[in-house]
Amino acid sequence: MAYGLPTMPQPDVRQQPAGAASPRKTLIVLAVFALAGVVFAAVSSYDFIAHLDRQVHAITCSIVPGLGAKDASGSSGCHTVLMSPYSSVWRDMTWGGIPIALPAFGVFAFLLFRAVDLLLRKRMVRVETSFMVAATALPVLTSIIYAFISATRIGTFCKVCVGIYVSSLGVFVAAIAAHVLTPASPERKSNVLSQWAFYFVEGLAIVALPLLLYLTLKPAYSDSLLQTSGLRHPDDKYGVMLDVPGGGQVPSVEVLDPLCPACKAFSERLSASGLADRLQIKMILFPLDKECNWMVGESLHPGACAVSEALLCAGPRASAVLDWAFAHQEELRARGAQGQPAIYTRIKQQFPDLAGCVGQPAVRARVNKGLRWIVANSLPVLTPQLFVRNQKLPDEDTDLGLDYVLSRVLAQTSNEVRR
Amino acid sequence: MNTGRTHLILLLVTVAAMGVSVASWTRAAASRLAESQGKLPEVATASASDMNYCSGDLKVILKRVLTSCGLTTGGSTRGCQPLQARQVASMSGGDFNALFSPLADRAAIIQFDKDSADLDAASAVLLEQTFSDRRGASYFFVVSRASPEGSTEHNRDLSHRRGTAVLDHIRAKFQDPDIDQEVGLLWLGEEFAQLDQQFCQWKRSRSGDGCGTAELNRSSFIAWIDCRL
Repeated sequence: MAYGLPTMPQPDVRQQPAGAASPRKTLIVLAVFALAGVVFAAVSSYDFIAHLDRQVHAITCSIVPGLGAKDASGSSGCHTVLMSPYSSVWRDMTWGGIPIALPAFGVFAFLLFRAVDLLLRKRMVRVETSFMVAATALPVLTSIIYAFISATRIGTFCKVCVGIYVSSLGVFVAAIAAHVLTPASPERKSNVLSQWAFYFVEGLAIVALPLLLYLTLKPAYSDSLLQTSGLRHPDDKYGVMLDVPGGGQVPSVEVLDPLCPACKAFSERLSASGLADRLQIKMILFPLDKECNWMVGESLHPGACAVSEALLCAGPRASAVLDWAFAHQEELRARGAQGQPAIYTRIKQQFPDLAGCVGQPAVRARVNKGLRWIVANSLPVLTPQLFVRNQKLPDEDTDLGLDYVLSRVLAQTSNEVRR
Repeated sequence: MNTGRTHLILLLVTVAAMGVSVASWTRAAASRLAESQGKLPEVATASASDMNYCSGDLKVILKRVLTSCGLTTGGSTRGCQPLQARQVASMSGGDFNALFSPLADRAAIIQFDKDSADLDAASAVLLEQTFSDRRGASYFFVVSRASPEGSTEHNRDLSHRRGTAVLDHIRAKFQDPDIDQEVGLLWLGEEFAQLDQQFCQWKRSRSGDGCGTAELNRSSFIAWIDCRL
């Protein structure tokens, strides 16, 4: 086979033999880290792609994929990160967007391929190891950015992602070591550039392949999926809806539980999508807490009834209470599990001006009225739910498909309004 | 094997492994999506509560009362007088009261002074607590009575005023737009289904005072009914 011979740069025969075994050992280390990166990125990609069926799946959340139980409850950092607006890009162009893990899969596969390829050669030259340093810098930079986002925006880390971060650092350090340990050799500048260009194109092809396959084979989103029922009684006859600040014009109703992690993630996704600016959202509270909600046998989010009371008591300042509740969900649920006095004490400590309102019959009756509004509309017992111009956003599309489906709903409803 | 051939084989293996993986994952998701189309989600729908004590008999009485007393029909008649209540219930006073015995945890007895229809502070608090503890109930019953002192006509009117006082208080306090569809008002005077001594154990607004049948029946019995019709 003559592949590469006329065009593929070959090692310069004038090179000195690769110095001892040290660069090779570091290449082996590099290959091991690249393989680990391939595994972590593949697991992450697999979990993301599984959700393209619009169903709920348990996901891997272990530093050793395959060991340990999968997260089926959605309580792990891996789930939070997967459902965050940062797990994929171009979400408004295709359902779910393109998962970040997929190009990572390609990059690590390329690095593994390059490392094995170099290991199988008799000689190593610095032009190749220097390219490896440049190539491994990409996952390191991406990992730094994503670790920063995890820490500052998402507020949690996923173990599989940490595996990718460590693998990125490992390949980078190993590439530097391999480069440093490989003896210098004279290279023509044009020769270096052509070799780098060749490797770059090869890398680009390996990264692009899974992306193209993904975009070609992923399920198409049919408009028939948007044919959902609306609200039977959308009017706020009980006066229990809360205004969400924003300058949007499209009337919308969001059904949420202030202590539901999915609602918090939904709000973040909606905000990150930029589409929230077009909505004029009214919020209706649906605490999945048996203290006030007879529709749940067990409290899914203990303390949610008391926090809902606080939101209703706060009135125009409800968004401040909601932000606080979202930021302290775990703590508030733990207090709620200890009993009503514990959660009321925490609320009064944070918002002393609401002390005379929470727990009182009047506000408890308002929470109940909100639940009756939900009964009157025969809504499913789940949160969050979003209705845009009285058309329900399918429950399956409130996570990864939010940007794409909401864009279509907004376009569809604005077309109807024009007609 | 020369370098170029090795390189090519490695490249093909890499590309094939990635391609097969991504293609199989993606097509599997597409296949599951296609299978799930048209299937209804397994999620409960929000509904009012329908507790175990909602026996067939209770539901029949409930429906008769709600219909005859102008609640479910949205008519202008509000409440049932003693004669109507007896006809509607089609049962003895004892049997009528027995229907409410499963409601011991949900009911309260709002007590009044003799020959008075004014709510005192303790009555207002108990009334508000009971009404706000609605949960998933659909109907609120106010069954007012009077002790036997005075004429039958007077006691009929007195129990009516007691029931109205309760209704007016919750109407003012809770501003519930559905109140006319959810509160069933019966005033029984001294004539029908008088409370006996066993109701002294129930939650009362004057639990610290002595409890005889006279004190018990100077009252409005209130309870949320967790039944769906």
